[in-house]
Amino acid sequence: MSRKKLLQRVTKVRRHEHHPILHHVHRKYGISRKTLFYMKEYGPHSHIAHVIVRESLKILIMASVISSIGGISLQFMEGKLLAIIPLLILIPAMNNMVGDFGCIVSSKFTTMLYMGKVGGKWWKSRHLHRLFLVILISSFIMSVFIGVAASVIGYWSGSFLTFGMFLKILAIAVLSNLILVGVIFCVSIIGGLGIYRKREDPNNFLIPIATSVADLLNLVIFAILVGMFF
Amino acid sequence: MAFWKDFDEIVTAEMASTAGGLAAGTMLAFITNQIELIPALLIFLPGFLEMRGNISGSLSARLSSALFLGATKPKVRKNRILRGNVAAAMLLVVVVSIILGVVAFFANAVFFGVVDYRIIAIALIAGILSNVVEVPIAVLTTFWLFRHGHDPNNIMGPYVTTTGDITSIISVFIAIVII
Repeated sequence: MSRKKLLQRVTKVRRHEHHPILHHVHRKYGISRKTLFYMKEYGPHSHIAHVIVRESLKILIMASVISSIGGISLQFMEGKLLAIIPLLILIPAMNNMVGDFGCIVSSKFTTMLYMGKVGGKWWKSRHLHRLFLVILISSFIMSVFIGVAASVIGYWSGSFLTFGMFLKILAIAVLSNLILVGVIFCVSIIGGLGIYRKREDPNNFLIPIATSVADLLNLVIFAILVGMFF
Repeated sequence: MAFWKDFDEIVTAEMASTAGGLAAGTMLAFITNQIELIPALLIFLPGFLEMRGNISGSLSARLSSALFLGATKPKVRKNRILRGNVAAAMLLVVVVSIILGVVAFFANAVFFGVVDYRIIAIALIAGILSNVVEVPIAVLTTFWLFRHGHDPNNIMGPYVTTTGDITSIISVFIAIVII
């Protein structure tokens, strides 16, 4: 069978079918498995929008609703957040930062697992120690930055702010971030090792899990700290 | 030194991402009166920002894969894969926005005893408005980066999070004004 006809057959393979023709074409013509997968997934016989919606709707709803559950704790603190504007400015910035760190730690830990840099005694891995140190220092610097920036922007936009309040805002930003870095590492290591031992790809599960947990806890810890300090 | 290379890359990317978050927070500070007027807005907002980033991020990631594999070209017209992706983004936004609005409505009723249906309408209008702005931004920037020899995967993540946060807050504000 010619290459053109083989590729036409690939596009007609049903989406959920694990067809041997994919391996055959990959071996014979050196076309990467990812390309062949894409041809099968979004080929002329598949309805692209339908495939995307079906694949991503569940995880999208889960991630968004988990964040909204965290939002309930913010609603409890509504009065304080609206009275102290820098706290309100902090929320989206902290959410972005914590989500990003969840993504970085999960993807880097998964890569370490695949490359054999983390074994059974994961706590002895110097690569993991280095990652923890990099994330800890970066998160400390970034939380000081957003704490100062939110206070300055809040002050400029007319919010009442004393030096004591500024120190409390800074403490909230730094403390909640440091707690969350610990949580993100625990989730990534426990979840990553568990998924990897079940011979599944941690890339498919770990990032949504770590970022959702981080987002939810970020809002809850933030609300608790606001309640404690103000 | 791998340590400093990682540190540099992480801090640089984080600066861009948190700058967007701070811009979104500043806009939030300007609509405090509206936040007070509409109950459950603080319940709805984190989920809405999360949804926006996820939909735009996945959209540009899928388009980047298609561009690199040669499955599509960086052009807007007569592009079957782009059409399918945009339709999916629109459909996802409508469905997830309504769900977020309903969750916020029930959470507000259960925890705070306030029954206000406006949050569902605000969620739907804000979702559609933000998509109308954000989807063209994500698509055109991905195509522009690819045409100029950059890898959109390296740039689009923090970029759509930043622009998404800002457009989301503005869309929520417009939706509140409309309602």
